[in-house]
Amino acid sequence: MRRYDLIVIGMGLAGLTAARTAVEMGAKILIVGRGMGSLTLFGNTIDLLGEITPGTDMEAGVMSWTATHPDHPYARTGWAGIAEALVAFREFFPPPYTFAPVGGGNSLVPTGAGTVRPTYLLPVTMTAGVGISSEDTLIVSFRGFKDFQGDTVSLHLRCRGVNLSLPRYGLEGVTALAFARLMDEEPFRESLGEAIRRQLAGERRIGLPAVLGLRNPAGVMATLEAVTGAKVFEIPMLPPSIPGARIFRRLREELIAKGATFLMGNPVIGATLKNGRCEGITVQNPPLKTVYSADCYVLATGRFLGGGLWADMERVSEPLFHIPVSQPATRGEWFRERFFQPEAHPIHRAGIVTDAALRPVDEGGKVVLENLWAAGSILAHHQAIEEKSREGIDIATGFLAAKRALAP
Amino acid sequence: MHLQTEVLIIGGGATGAGIARDLALRGIPSLLVEKGDFTSGASGRNQGLLHSGARYAVNDPEAARECITENRILRRIAPHCIEASDGLFVSLPEDGPEYRANFIRACGAAGIDTLPLSPNEALSMEPKLNPLIIGAVQVPDGAIDPFTLVVENARDAESRGARFFLHTEVIALILDGVRIAGARVKDRITGEEFSISASWVINAAGAWVNQILGLAGLKIGIALSKGSMLITNTRLSERVINRCRPPASGDIIVPNDTVSILGTTSLREEDLEHYEVTPEEVSFLVDELSRMIPAVRGERFTRAYAGVRPLVQSAETCDDRTISRGFTLIDHESCDGLAGLVTITGGKLMTYRLMAERTADLICKKMGLHVPCLTHVQRLPGAGLSHALKDRLIRLRRHTPAARGEILCDCELVPREVVDAILREAKVRELQDILHRTRLAKGTCQGGFCVYRLLGVLNEMRKAEGLGGSNRILKAFLEERWKGIRPVLWGISLKEEELIESIYKGLFNLTPEEPGPPEGDES
Repeated sequence: MRRYDLIVIGMGLAGLTAARTAVEMGAKILIVGRGMGSLTLFGNTIDLLGEITPGTDMEAGVMSWTATHPDHPYARTGWAGIAEALVAFREFFPPPYTFAPVGGGNSLVPTGAGTVRPTYLLPVTMTAGVGISSEDTLIVSFRGFKDFQGDTVSLHLRCRGVNLSLPRYGLEGVTALAFARLMDEEPFRESLGEAIRRQLAGERRIGLPAVLGLRNPAGVMATLEAVTGAKVFEIPMLPPSIPGARIFRRLREELIAKGATFLMGNPVIGATLKNGRCEGITVQNPPLKTVYSADCYVLATGRFLGGGLWADMERVSEPLFHIPVSQPATRGEWFRERFFQPEAHPIHRAGIVTDAALRPVDEGGKVVLENLWAAGSILAHHQAIEEKSREGIDIATGFLAAKRALAP
Repeated sequence: MHLQTEVLIIGGGATGAGIARDLALRGIPSLLVEKGDFTSGASGRNQGLLHSGARYAVNDPEAARECITENRILRRIAPHCIEASDGLFVSLPEDGPEYRANFIRACGAAGIDTLPLSPNEALSMEPKLNPLIIGAVQVPDGAIDPFTLVVENARDAESRGARFFLHTEVIALILDGVRIAGARVKDRITGEEFSISASWVINAAGAWVNQILGLAGLKIGIALSKGSMLITNTRLSERVINRCRPPASGDIIVPNDTVSILGTTSLREEDLEHYEVTPEEVSFLVDELSRMIPAVRGERFTRAYAGVRPLVQSAETCDDRTISRGFTLIDHESCDGLAGLVTITGGKLMTYRLMAERTADLICKKMGLHVPCLTHVQRLPGAGLSHALKDRLIRLRRHTPAARGEILCDCELVPREVVDAILREAKVRELQDILHRTRLAKGTCQGGFCVYRLLGVLNEMRKAEGLGGSNRILKAFLEERWKGIRPVLWGISLKEEELIESIYKGLFNLTPEEPGPPEGDES
């Protein structure tokens, strides 16, 4: 049995951020996760807090917002914690594939439904999509690539759209991942760029589904821009998310290179608890069950989708450590009558309540396990979907949880 | 616009469509108006059970005999709408052997074939049954697809000259002295109003029967009873599983294609336009039906839905289940002195054809015609075509991947060409019309992915704007979907829900704000 300084449970953006933060601090860590987390489903840009008016100062906006949301995870990290974590995240993506705000604060990026959504940090492959106008933009989609419906996008954004056939036989029904891998091939993207160039009628920007390669997206963009002579941008679309997969791949490579133990696809099936501490976790790797131990643990298993929370017909529970979950009193109160509401359905605000250091606490505010910290969407009292705060919460709390767990 | 017909039929459920076909086969012209799509009422919101009649054998022998007769007729005329899976009536220890013996006797008297089975025999046929059962009886139950059945009736009638106006609501009855001479109607999508004059008007509006009669100052005694059902993600049994006890709530599991439908409850309902499945009903159905098949408790449910049955009121009854499921045919000329109007209501899906026959008989009699009914012998036009999963897969296999084209719905394997064909052929007025005519949005994700793709197709064909603009349609669809899934959101369904909310509210940023003017007018 190996002993670690820190074990991170969960491989979404929160868990990966916690693991990387710990590795940077020189800790010996293990990260274990059942799958790749919601990062690879919806992680396109880095949302922080969508309701802050585009172009206005984020710091002032977030600080005045947390003053009225004292239970929110951002109230635990504070603006300083958010800012420090975001700096570390951005430094991790040096040119050419960088993440940056457009125009200082939030900006509005087009989506696969032809709507726009507010977000904070954009990968360089999406920046040209901010502030498009009807005349200067061409939306390009592909026959048979069904998860990006170009006519929906172009009609709503009132741009011109074209529906191209893919330049190689047999690509009907291609998946986003396969498409992105093809884009990584220089000859493929050159011929694609040529096909797009022939469609241009004076437009200076080209919107494409977010599949511009996994390995070298900035290079794919550069090729397409060189061939077409126009600015190219990616539009977030139905899951899976290729931009999210890029973040995942980059963090995984880094963690493995820095000596972290990376256990993907293995569920954690139990925890050994003793004297108010976690003594070890049991990881299933059929036919083996292995116990791993560390001085401290970060729980970043996500919500229902990630398996961090589980709901039966009566109540919501946290299935690994069985720590208390803040939640509505009965199933009848989980959801509101209409799907679209100004506020999240109450069950989406359920989750783990923590102290200021992100250690889970019980109803009385008492720390449940001395050496356990929680991070990411499993935390209570946020509504990441409506707030547009998913990645911000993941990065800020993942960063803070590792810092606090490893604090001397 | 002014239209003229011999017989005006109000209501596009099984009864209305059945009457249109019956009349057409007798050579009598008709025109049918329906305020929604086909089967918007109880015809489309039931368990899809092809009754053997066994369920009624003990309490209502007449209904049982009607059922088994119609069961045999439907197997002959509509084999493509039926899955002849058979059914079991299983006895749990608390149900006792006495009722079972009674039941077998009563089935025999009604002419329903039974095959008594030992617990071991039943368990070998249906391994998911509760191992504590004390016995089972096999009967000729099955599953029926009400939508296809109704559309087939309508298609056959249309080919013989009947006309159909969907999304068209009756707003007034035209009175000519003491005679109803037609109706004033309104197209619910365009808002256009027009008149239809007819020699005879048949009120087959199902649960809405009194809304129509109210236009003539009349009313009949019916009770509205809400029944709620749950759809599982997988098929739990090969056969219909019934509880062998006096009919009660929560005693049937009907397998249908790849899923099972659990039912049902029975609650008085007043509001026909707004009713829902409550968490209590869901918990009740899961508790009660897990007694017959314990795996129900851990099953993933894809949707809950409810229908409102119109039950003809008999005197001094309160429990709706004691009200006869039999139907009532009212000639308002002899009852109320109002000529030209006939009401047919009550009954059940199983007896739609018989109800249509009796109604058409009455109309013929009043016309002084002697033309026999043909619906019990004349097969429906699509008889021979199968929509079962196996046959869908075989049809799909015949194509190469390229020729098969895009698969819009990965859950139910619906190719794009199916949608293209519907858009070419049918008079599609709204998104739900497309969904009713395909298996889109009927699978595990309940349309979470395929409806986005479908709207892309509509946009490509420039048809979404005519339907209100694609994101407005999308939001309306998600609200409608919500009604079905909200009652069953726990366990794995809740994971799916988080995914869908993350896509539409998060990634696509669709918000509850009232939509502006249709796209194209937005600035």
